[in-house]
Amino acid sequence: MSFLYPVVMPKMSMTMETGDLIVYYVSPGDHVKSGQVLFEVMTDKIDMEVEAPADGVIKDLIGVVGETIPIGKPVLTMLTESEVMAFDFDGPSEPVSEPIADSIAEPVAVVAEPEVVAPIVVAPVAPVPEVIAPVVAPVVVAPKTTTQIKAVPKARALAIEKGIALDSVKATGPDNTIMVSDLAGIHINPKITARQLANRKLIAAGIEKTRSIPQTSFTRIFKHSSGKNQHWQAHLLTTWAAVLRTRLDLNISSINGESESDIGVAMIIKSIYGSALPVFHNPDLLGRKELEELYDRTIRQAEEGKVPIYMLSGATTTIFDLTSFRMSSNTPPLFPGHVTSLTVGQNSDSKKSISLTIDLRYCDFYDGSELLDHLIEGL
Amino acid sequence: MSDRMLTMAEAVREAMGIAMEERPEVFLLGEDVGIYGGAFGVSGDLYHRFGSDRVLDTPISELGIVGAAVGAALSGMRPIVEIQFSDFTAQAMDQIANQAAKIHFMLGGGLHVPMVLRTPSGSGTGAAAQHSQSLETWFANVPGLKVVMPSNPADAKGLLLSAIDDPNPVIFLEHKLLYKIPGRDAVAEGAERIPLGVSKIVRTGKDLTIVATGVMVNKSFEAAARLEAEGISVELIDPRTISPLDMNPIYESVDKTGRLLVVQEAPAHAGFINEVVTQLVGSPSFGSLIAPVKRLAGLNIPIPYAPQLERSAVPQIDDIEIAARDLVKSWK
Repeated sequence: MSFLYPVVMPKMSMTMETGDLIVYYVSPGDHVKSGQVLFEVMTDKIDMEVEAPADGVIKDLIGVVGETIPIGKPVLTMLTESEVMAFDFDGPSEPVSEPIADSIAEPVAVVAEPEVVAPIVVAPVAPVPEVIAPVVAPVVVAPKTTTQIKAVPKARALAIEKGIALDSVKATGPDNTIMVSDLAGIHINPKITARQLANRKLIAAGIEKTRSIPQTSFTRIFKHSSGKNQHWQAHLLTTWAAVLRTRLDLNISSINGESESDIGVAMIIKSIYGSALPVFHNPDLLGRKELEELYDRTIRQAEEGKVPIYMLSGATTTIFDLTSFRMSSNTPPLFPGHVTSLTVGQNSDSKKSISLTIDLRYCDFYDGSELLDHLIEGL
Repeated sequence: MSDRMLTMAEAVREAMGIAMEERPEVFLLGEDVGIYGGAFGVSGDLYHRFGSDRVLDTPISELGIVGAAVGAALSGMRPIVEIQFSDFTAQAMDQIANQAAKIHFMLGGGLHVPMVLRTPSGSGTGAAAQHSQSLETWFANVPGLKVVMPSNPADAKGLLLSAIDDPNPVIFLEHKLLYKIPGRDAVAEGAERIPLGVSKIVRTGKDLTIVATGVMVNKSFEAAARLEAEGISVELIDPRTISPLDMNPIYESVDKTGRLLVVQEAPAHAGFINEVVTQLVGSPSFGSLIAPVKRLAGLNIPIPYAPQLERSAVPQIDDIEIAARDLVKSWK
């Protein structure tokens, strides 16, 4: 089975919003190999060749050479049988993802969206090239008919909640409409289960790689009550990023020389496909309100199984905030390429624990203890 | 608790009497409201209680009556206008829509028009096309006008007192069929107000929400009582004031029942109940719907004179009962 994928205008720097399409190296019908150069893009800073994320066949060239294209917008589409991409793309044409508006299911409308969103891929590991999410977003395959499956609003909402595909439900209501009672006894859409499984496998694969890293973890307990602060996570993001900014030598992108100061904080949040790890880029440089809005928006998108593609890569550290689960802290998994990883747990109403895992090749106990001191101070 | 079972005509008269006793600036004017006691007998003995200075019989000129009232209101009085049939407000529409409704805004809040315009509304009396209309949407579509549609004597009294207190113009639509029948609830003595803009849950239920206005509240209540016998539980909501409109109880009710039937006497096309539906489907309660929203309203025709045709032109108890049963039985 093959899947239609767009290869989008990548975000190549923090400030990049658009890129100019300079040249195509492929034509529709071409068979391409993973890594093969597809087209070249120019920005105010650099020119870059964009590679095929997987083996496949070029379908349509969407972008016009010479055109300025916003990041995240499709430049071309390709058909691929890559399994990684198979679970990556599932969503927007499915009723479970786009329950209501007919027009949203039209590809044109998606292209016109200000921000192309991709179904969630895990492990936002900066230096691992095989994570293809950064350059891939879904194209909505035009449905054969423009008619919606008829269902009462409550049934639609329930179907999304349970992960039930409406096309699998037998409608017994008037005019062949799915009623709430039609959903009784129906189990979860196996497609969603499959995606959840694939998602977990990818996380596990990322964690598996952590074994070869010499690392250690330690925990501090501190008095802190997030109370009714709805934006505690945003506060945590910005504080941790600010702490790392004082120690850029412990920030992987700086170590790799990729960027002197980009700090990408991946934070675990819940989505219908399981855990998602969207990356917040330099959260400490955003205004408080701006970050809170970004966080809220990302949560909403993740709940629908989608986060903006530029938020799926470039992480240099990870935060597992377990306070909302009322769990206490545990050893934070260190993703390959990250020097640090945090887990925050709730020990009691007034006490939290913070665990830090460090890559001992770049960071020692003294550094780690200092980072924690600063973080707790900042919180 | 009082056990006084008044008719709506009596309750409205009582409210006007209380307001006139409370405030010297309150007065009533209109055609035949004085010595004759009002075309539907609503003003009754007020002329004899308060005298010809405060209960004014006017010439037959609706534009002149409302114009005089607007002028009086601007100079510190609180006029209550009675227009004999709501259809005749068409004659006075310039004063209502272009003057009364706008003065507060166009003078930057410097002046306002504390006027109440009371008028009999609706069909069912064999008065034919020019004396039987339900015109609430004419007024509800004019910003600056409040629109009240009481469905029973107790509400009529409390709402009218609030309307007279209100510093801006209020259109008070009294259904003719309700004038002579006692309400289900006793009318309290005293001067207790019922605030404008608060919907009333007339009866609670769990299977279906009915939102109805004016006399349709009573018809829906009867239909709900019949359905109760079959085990169908209807929650009935009377918005009471259609401008401003209090949607919250309607949202909460639909969140509970998942089904909505809206009922009005006015023609369906561009009618008030469509506003209720639009607000509902644009709210989070949309996701609570387990059935399509159903509308029952008058036909898009002038009200016929022939009694059987007149009845057929607007929803009746049987129609409401059938529509409600169908919604509950067909949508699980």
